[in-house]
Amino acid sequence: MVGVVFIEPAGGEVELDATEGWSLMQVATSQGVEGIDAECGGSCACATCHCYVEGEAAAALPPPSEAELAMLEHVVAERRPSSRLSCQIKAAPTIDGLILRVAETQS
Amino acid sequence: MFSFDPYSPAVDADPFPYYKRLRDEFPCFWSREAGMWVLSRYADVVSALGNWQTYSSAKGNLMTELPNRAGATLGTTDPPRHDRLRGLIQHAFMKRNLESLADPIRDIAKASVAEIAGEKTFDFIEDFSAKFTVRVLFAALGLPMGDETTVREKAVLMVQSDPHTRNKGPEHIAAYNWMQDYAANVIAERRKNPQNDLISHFSMAEIDGDRLDEREVLLTTTTLIMAGVESLGGFMSMFALNLADHHDVRRAVVADPSLVPDAIEESLRYNTSAQRFRRCLTKDTELHGQTMREGDFVCLAYGSANRDERQFPNPDVYDLARKPKGHVGFGGSVHACLGTAVARMSVKIAMEEFHKVVPDYVRVQEQLPWMPSSTFRSPLRLDLAVQ
Repeated sequence: MVGVVFIEPAGGEVELDATEGWSLMQVATSQGVEGIDAECGGSCACATCHCYVEGEAAAALPPPSEAELAMLEHVVAERRPSSRLSCQIKAAPTIDGLILRVAETQS
Repeated sequence: MFSFDPYSPAVDADPFPYYKRLRDEFPCFWSREAGMWVLSRYADVVSALGNWQTYSSAKGNLMTELPNRAGATLGTTDPPRHDRLRGLIQHAFMKRNLESLADPIRDIAKASVAEIAGEKTFDFIEDFSAKFTVRVLFAALGLPMGDETTVREKAVLMVQSDPHTRNKGPEHIAAYNWMQDYAANVIAERRKNPQNDLISHFSMAEIDGDRLDEREVLLTTTTLIMAGVESLGGFMSMFALNLADHHDVRRAVVADPSLVPDAIEESLRYNTSAQRFRRCLTKDTELHGQTMREGDFVCLAYGSANRDERQFPNPDVYDLARKPKGHVGFGGSVHACLGTAVARMSVKIAMEEFHKVVPDYVRVQEQLPWMPSSTFRSPLRLDLAVQ
């Protein structure tokens, strides 16, 4: 299990054990984290699982793919250098401790 | 001895008791009848969906695959080949790019429901949803009207399978071939007279200077038409069935149409028409004490994952207040349904307009005639009586 923390738009912090190999979007939606719509189901096609990544583990993340970068242009909330689509980040030991601040609006 | 035969009419009619035993007692089950493993728990299905390197789609994704489709469509390729195909198409299916379709879809819904106004009983499918879905698809793809009844008939037939031979029958293959010829004509016509539409762009697209393989263009277009007609129609008839059977939910969404999206989402969880898809293992894989071998096919039972009590409390209750997140009614991960946004939007608009004309209704048939299909589940006919 990999420990990650989601900070919901209303401010609530949710600490979760993520199953290795699951996308962080799946981890969040399957455990009731608020604020992630994930309309497309995780195929990198809707930009509604937008989060800002924080913490030391953020630096260890593999960089976004071209497809993710293209889709990040469609996020509704402010796009920042730390913006990621949580469906494109897989739970792995290297990201243990990652903090994901869920964007305040998704669509 | 327990068996699970996805070709059995009993499973078409009610797969859920089988699913419960699969989840509780046989979470990694070899179905002799289907010749594949069956994964039925939510966590296992989600894990497999996310692990395309091991659970490959390149040998086909329909439980009973159509000839020559594997390797040539979005659903039957793996990344990176899949991603380049999807990159060409998905822009057209994004929610924000569909907004211009909302008014035409509403006009189609109004015209379709007007045809049943005043009827005491009607078949929701033949008299409403079939007309609506095929008209929406034709409008979205800019197809010439005239063939729509045949297109729908063939789309519904090509996804079926024969419960006795446990394979496609000659009538299913003939429908599939008919649809390929139809798609080929549309593609040829668009190449001759290109328009600013999906099929024109797709049929002439180049990726890194390479034209798409002709088989990819043909079978992806064929699949888009099949999904646009059959999958959208199946989804919509399951939603209508749920509303007909659950009076409290129907009354709530008729009184407050802003609840329709919640009812749709719970319908996708409760009994999605996309019940089972398959993958093929690229390496030996151990799960729940079983060893599945490289090259074995694996059924991912979405319909069971969505009823897994380990994930959804009281899973057998159709609960308007549930607002289920993370369900796999459209599949998930790289191969999640391309049409999620257009399907949600079309069904929402259709039922809003339907309820303005038919606000209260019940199911007439006690036993429904279920489509014989190892992959999809929806009734062939759904008689409703106006209250």
